[in-house]
Amino acid sequence: MLSRSAERIYWLARYIERTENIARLVNVHMNLLMDLPKDVEMGWKQLILINSSDQIFYEKYNVANEKNITRFLLADDTYAGSLFSSLTAARENIRTSRDLLPDEAWEQVNEMYLFAKKNLDTVSNRRHRVIFLNEILKGCQRFTGLLSGYMSHNHPYAFIRLGRNMERADMTSRILDLASLLLSESRSDEVRQYETILWMNVLKALNALLMYRQQKHSHVNGDDVLDFLLKNTNLPRSVMCCLSEISECIIKLPNNGDLPAKVVELQTYVQAIKTEDTTQAQLRGILDDLQNKIGGLHNEITQNWFLIVSED
Amino acid sequence: MKSIWENYKTDVAYDELMFSEYQSRPVSHQLCRYLDTLKKEDIDKRKAAAELAIMEMGISFTVYSDEGNIDRAWPFDIIPRIIAAKEWRIIEKGLKQRLTALNCFISDVYGEQAFIKAGKMPGEIVNSSKNFRKECVGMKPKHNVWANICGTDLVRDKDGIMYVLEDNLRVPSGVSYMLENRVITKRVFPELFQDIDIQPIDDYPTRLHEMLTSIAPHQNGQVTCAVLTPGIYNSAYFEHAYLAQQMGAQLVEGGDLVVKDDDCVYMKTIQGLEKVDVIYRRIDDDFLDPEVFRKDSTLGVKGLMRAWKAGNVALANAPGAGVADDKVVYAYVPEMIRYFLNEEPILPNVPTYLCSNPDDLEYVLDHLAELVVKPANESGGYGMLVGPHATEKEVASFRDIIKKDPRNYIAQPTLSISTAPTLCKSKLEPRHIDLRPFILQGQDTFVTAGGLTRVALKKGSLVVNSSQGGGSKDTWIINMGDK
Repeated sequence: MLSRSAERIYWLARYIERTENIARLVNVHMNLLMDLPKDVEMGWKQLILINSSDQIFYEKYNVANEKNITRFLLADDTYAGSLFSSLTAARENIRTSRDLLPDEAWEQVNEMYLFAKKNLDTVSNRRHRVIFLNEILKGCQRFTGLLSGYMSHNHPYAFIRLGRNMERADMTSRILDLASLLLSESRSDEVRQYETILWMNVLKALNALLMYRQQKHSHVNGDDVLDFLLKNTNLPRSVMCCLSEISECIIKLPNNGDLPAKVVELQTYVQAIKTEDTTQAQLRGILDDLQNKIGGLHNEITQNWFLIVSED
Repeated sequence: MKSIWENYKTDVAYDELMFSEYQSRPVSHQLCRYLDTLKKEDIDKRKAAAELAIMEMGISFTVYSDEGNIDRAWPFDIIPRIIAAKEWRIIEKGLKQRLTALNCFISDVYGEQAFIKAGKMPGEIVNSSKNFRKECVGMKPKHNVWANICGTDLVRDKDGIMYVLEDNLRVPSGVSYMLENRVITKRVFPELFQDIDIQPIDDYPTRLHEMLTSIAPHQNGQVTCAVLTPGIYNSAYFEHAYLAQQMGAQLVEGGDLVVKDDDCVYMKTIQGLEKVDVIYRRIDDDFLDPEVFRKDSTLGVKGLMRAWKAGNVALANAPGAGVADDKVVYAYVPEMIRYFLNEEPILPNVPTYLCSNPDDLEYVLDHLAELVVKPANESGGYGMLVGPHATEKEVASFRDIIKKDPRNYIAQPTLSISTAPTLCKSKLEPRHIDLRPFILQGQDTFVTAGGLTRVALKKGSLVVNSSQGGGSKDTWIINMGDK
């Protein structure tokens, strides 16, 4: 498999996963805001804080209101982190990797892209936004399902899983970041009584609420949610679970060098994170550290497989 | 209710399907009977279904002038063009004969030049051709075949005869559209495939792969084939990716390949460097190897010519094959067939005036308003003059252009190229068409059953090139109980 193809396929999977994650995040946040009292100081702004895009946002928009933020996060093709930009990048990557994937995979992504492009203007309206996000979520799921049903478990497939799980691990840590932000603002005022709702929404953002209930049999509380989302070994979007998928893929691929050892190191690190009675500052520290480590692993993957330098 | 055939004009040119508004040709009886059972709304629905399929399949052809829009959907007309198998068998034979002669000619040009020495063609034509590559002199590609993939453009004139308009021997494109058009037609008119005996075309990628394998330098063990594309911004990128996928070959860009000190070509993979045996290159000679041709090329591979000359990699088409893809050389193809094969040409050429020839030049300059003038080396319908459709000013400026560089221009009578019914706003209208069959030559020779029919969608237009806004149709070769 060509290094260049491997890189494109890895990014394809990352961008599709990112598209899905942004869609789910906005969806869940919208639901959360509907549940909170109108006078609570808790708004759309948090969504641009979690991936530190507030600066870019304010260069383009004046007010951080629902209309502007959803437009920015979903439809803005000049912001590289938007849903539409991710989907466009996914489409570019699959367009240039069609030789390795089933036809239907390209058609699926292309269809989703055409749908999004046609409906970009509808996202500022809540009702239309719900429909838009549902279509996107379904489309991403179809894509993932299609590959799992049609593709051999070959090297390209390993790169797809690798990309998907790298993005997932990163996104889970960012969503936990969101929780920490929400908590900090809630500690002192009346939002405290809504803490449970906040944590439930964090779980929902990762499609993990049902699984949490089955597993923990407990009242939804911060420490347990944190533990569950970081360390549970069965939940597909927990950091631990992503790491073990990453590890499987890396072991399957040729010339993996010291990457397997690096993943073990990361797993050990996550295992050792203390999730009880963490303060907001501690939590932020842990998550920053974790995100840096995931970024580091990404760089190693890039170095190892994508940048074959020939000695000519 | 009005018929979709109302006012269908067959007096413009030879019509492929119809004798008149009311009478179909034998080849199209079944199709027309079927179309008569459909209501106008049904036909519109089928057209919409085809358009949706094209969007979703992402079939695209870049048109450079469409700025910022790199995948304009490919215009497709749902009404197929039909040719009887009986006629096709003769055309097929003629195409094989022609490519065989062309390959003999190219081998001869880079070898003894017996054709020129025998006085059959002025040597000047080869020497002044910018597609003659002196680096290729003395090379002997496998099976003595230089042009492995050829797209030959055919047109039918008023007299009903199919003429060869040109031979595309460099990097002919369009075959993926031929294949996709069939896929769409099967979706849109599945009923027709039940009753009509239409020859299948979907074996092309397999045949292409077989041909590529047959020219590999070594026949032991597995042959690694790659399709070399200039990349995503090339107008035919879709086709490159499509063919690679269909053949299970690697789609590579110049940067993915490297030629090492052993003069072998390798691709950069996740397992390290892997040897490549055959490259189906979709890059022009000029950009193939900065070591030999254009130094500023970033699309090619440094050392590729070295590897080819050392016999370590096969290139299809071979570098230098374009010497026969020249509209001046074209005029000599009938003579090549007689000289090299000792046969009479099965398919006629369009009469051609060579502006390099003083008598011809005089005639051309005097009759510009009736002729089609083409540059010898351009493809894609660029830089040509269609006399009868040009303004006086255009004719005058072209006269100066020709006088400056007569070698580079040829002229042909304006053919009244045939038409076929094409769906225009819920109604059928005649539109001019041509046909590009694809011929593969390696150890064996293969011709596609039909080819890509291109259609000039603008009323009255004769320019069918996809790069100039033409569209295409599915092409059926049908058996009519006369096998």
